[in-house]
Amino acid sequence: MSLERSLAPGETPMSSSTSGRPVRMRLQVWGILLGVAAYVAATAAVAEADLGVQSLVLVAAVFGILAISLDLVAGMLGLYSLGQGGFFAIGAYLTTIVVNQLDWNVFALLPIVLAVSGAAGMAVGAISLRVSGLYFAITTFIFTLVLTVLATDLQITGGLQGLLGPAFPAFPAGFEPLGTPIVWCVMLALFLCTALVWNIRQSPLYPVLLSIRDAEHFAEAAGVRTSLAKVAVFGLSAMMAGGAGWLFSFLGVVSPGQFDWAVSLNILVMVLIGGINTTLGPVIGAAFVSMFPSVVNINPWLQEMIYGALSILAVTMFPEGIVGIVKRRFAGRRKASRQADPREEDAFVATAQNGADAAIFAPSVQREGWQADAAPGPIVECRGIEFNYGTGLRVLRGVDLAVQRGHIHGLIGPNGSGKSTLANVIAGRLQPLAGAVVVKGERVDGLPPSYRAKLGMRRTFQAAELVRELSTSENVLVGLFDRVPRIAERAAIWPLLPSAQRDGAWMRHRARKTLGMVGASAWADSSIGDVPHGIEQLTQLASVCVAGPDIIILDEPATGLSAGEVDHLARILSHLKTQGVTMIIIEHQTRFLFPLCDRVTVLNAGEVILTGSADEVRAHPVVRQVYLGE
Amino acid sequence: MMQFLVSGVAIGSIYGLIGMALAITFYVTRIINFAEGQLMMVTAMVTAELFASGWPTWAAAGVGLACSCIIGLLSYLIAVRPILAANRLGFGWLVSTLGFAVIVENAAAYIWGPTSQAFPPMLRDVSLHVFDAVLTGQQLLAIVTAAVLTLGFELVRRNTLFGKLGMATATDPEMASAIGINTTLVALVAFAVSALFAGIAGLLIGPSTFANPYLGHTFGTYGFIAMMIGGGTEKPISAMFGGLLLGICAEGANAMINSQASDWFPFAVLAVILLISPKGLFNAGALLRPGRILRRSGENTRSAG
Repeated sequence: MSLERSLAPGETPMSSSTSGRPVRMRLQVWGILLGVAAYVAATAAVAEADLGVQSLVLVAAVFGILAISLDLVAGMLGLYSLGQGGFFAIGAYLTTIVVNQLDWNVFALLPIVLAVSGAAGMAVGAISLRVSGLYFAITTFIFTLVLTVLATDLQITGGLQGLLGPAFPAFPAGFEPLGTPIVWCVMLALFLCTALVWNIRQSPLYPVLLSIRDAEHFAEAAGVRTSLAKVAVFGLSAMMAGGAGWLFSFLGVVSPGQFDWAVSLNILVMVLIGGINTTLGPVIGAAFVSMFPSVVNINPWLQEMIYGALSILAVTMFPEGIVGIVKRRFAGRRKASRQADPREEDAFVATAQNGADAAIFAPSVQREGWQADAAPGPIVECRGIEFNYGTGLRVLRGVDLAVQRGHIHGLIGPNGSGKSTLANVIAGRLQPLAGAVVVKGERVDGLPPSYRAKLGMRRTFQAAELVRELSTSENVLVGLFDRVPRIAERAAIWPLLPSAQRDGAWMRHRARKTLGMVGASAWADSSIGDVPHGIEQLTQLASVCVAGPDIIILDEPATGLSAGEVDHLARILSHLKTQGVTMIIIEHQTRFLFPLCDRVTVLNAGEVILTGSADEVRAHPVVRQVYLGE
Repeated sequence: MMQFLVSGVAIGSIYGLIGMALAITFYVTRIINFAEGQLMMVTAMVTAELFASGWPTWAAAGVGLACSCIIGLLSYLIAVRPILAANRLGFGWLVSTLGFAVIVENAAAYIWGPTSQAFPPMLRDVSLHVFDAVLTGQQLLAIVTAAVLTLGFELVRRNTLFGKLGMATATDPEMASAIGINTTLVALVAFAVSALFAGIAGLLIGPSTFANPYLGHTFGTYGFIAMMIGGGTEKPISAMFGGLLLGICAEGANAMINSQASDWFPFAVLAVILLISPKGLFNAGALLRPGRILRRSGENTRSAG
């Protein structure tokens, strides 16, 4: 799908950017260039320094890479891996053994080392992702434990004493004035890794990864294949750790004690001290932790005690780490200046009522590029759906539902009647025990939610699932994930690609425009954690509409909204209907729902009682009895 | 054959005690106290020190246990409580409890030096013959103590009000404190009890390993494996079964493969078990529980409809 084509006329992304922006960007570029120059100068200085300083800096830099690799999974995906020491060991031992025994060229070996550790990472990831949170940490921990034990007991790894690592090749003739080659190599690797995560942070993949971390169902509904993403990122992280092992093998002896689980935990300490989910934090933390013993040169036991006390202090008093503290300092100042403009709780209702916003509405919803939809008949159809949770009571019993193209289809029923369960079955989050779900003539039961997204079906959640630390517009950006090709593939070098710059600008523009369309543009830069409930609901709606879907499932969208907000929501939904969007709405507030609906289905105790027009439903005696309470 | 079984059970009951110590704190606070092995070491060191300065064995052991209880409570107050207060689901405790372990271990090495101290012998003259195997008095003591403690803990957990308070806190701390349970007190008691378990393990292993500041590292790891194999993260008593299995595996590997096999065989077992069942082996009860709750809520729905 070409983006230029789907960009409606007059919707040039750059037109919205103020004249201040290029100046800021140019400043940013200069800042980066200055930083890189300083970094090169520092590297040159270290390359000429004495051996003690060199080994101190090199070990810190290798641990910097390890900390970055951990932060990639722990910070962005919330996967606290204690397997980094294991991947590190794979890289170091593989390099040492192959070079010592087969006398390979170390640079020829590097791709193999990266591939092997990456593959190990994907395998470990695929196995341990069956469990989450603490069990993920424990499974990866045990991976490291097993590898350390193997390294200690095998012949080929040299047992407890370990092996002497290979020598790093000298510079070719003419380059000798640069100093020690390994210094340049390690510092280049550290730079590349830092640049890689910085690039990812600049790309639209970043909010997507955070949404996998904090709101997995939301990410899935937006078309992200979350398990695949996790395994891939974990593989990338393992690859980095393996590369760090390759570098480490040139620094001296490779022995099991350097990779045991305590090392994996130390890497986590580095990340937490420096600041989790920041670009520079892990590097700062690694420098601090690995240089600590040389700087504080006292009785080793006292020194260890101080280290223990410092790590406790760091996580209890400063859970955001060094970079987090600095950031908050600056953010606090910025927020103070921003608080000058007063915002009312329901200011969005006012903004949306003026016609200008509604006019934007039309062109920004385009439904081209979705899978061909030629099949006649209902756009969504459920046949004989049966479902239960665990071994419990049947929650859905033989549910048939047909939603016509362009209709708003209401779904009502008392609490526990299976409405949300049915919505989850249609949206793919739950798999029915029996029966078929057909979307646009294609049978989709058994397929994941991300496939529904590809068909043009999106959904909202009863309790909004959003990323609290991101702004509303960044959350909306997640909804565009599958509308822009190859986001994940391009993320590693995102800021360097002109095409990516263009797509990024288009996505940001479109996200803001959609927020404006639902009437929440005043909140575009506030983080979700700071916005009122109504705005959260609207952000959810915007993240769905931004992709221009043709089927939307809304699970109790009006819950917790004020009367004014409910009216506003009704206006948005009827507007979407004029665009030809099909909607399935679960709702208790019949006063809000019935005027919107073309058809209403009533569920009770897992069975369909009746499907009909709002008036038919209202008049039906059984409905009056079980639902309207008469 | 018989010999490695009985000595496996003996050493396994010690692993199991440490595993249960880890599991008890995990049960109530949902964190793993990495300092548990070090608490065991504290009891061993203090007991050895007092015994060397002429105290009777029972008094030295009592003070040793009291010391590890105090340090266990400190570990909660310093390394766990502040973290859980800030973010109950975060992972900062991985770092802080490990930091606490580092402090305790190195403080011990600083005070007593890195070498081993003599430890008072226990039941040296008793031994028991089981078929063709010999069980020393010390091993017998370990098995009996572990059995009594495990049963006692399980009875208290199930049948007393305090045990139920612990269960409530374990299931949902917010709800528990909302209905008036002092969750801090429950957690403190859990940490004291777990330190007691770890300390007793230290007393039981002391006569064969002697008292060494780095004892906690090795046995802490084994205790952790015991908990993971058994599935003590869901039910503390499972950690004891895990410990027994681990002990038999280690001793069995030594007897059947070679004398070094106990270094790696238990880890292989652990890796395989976690591949099959990530939440441990003895967890059938936990698997049934959600179903039971759901069925009950399902019945409610039916009566409502």
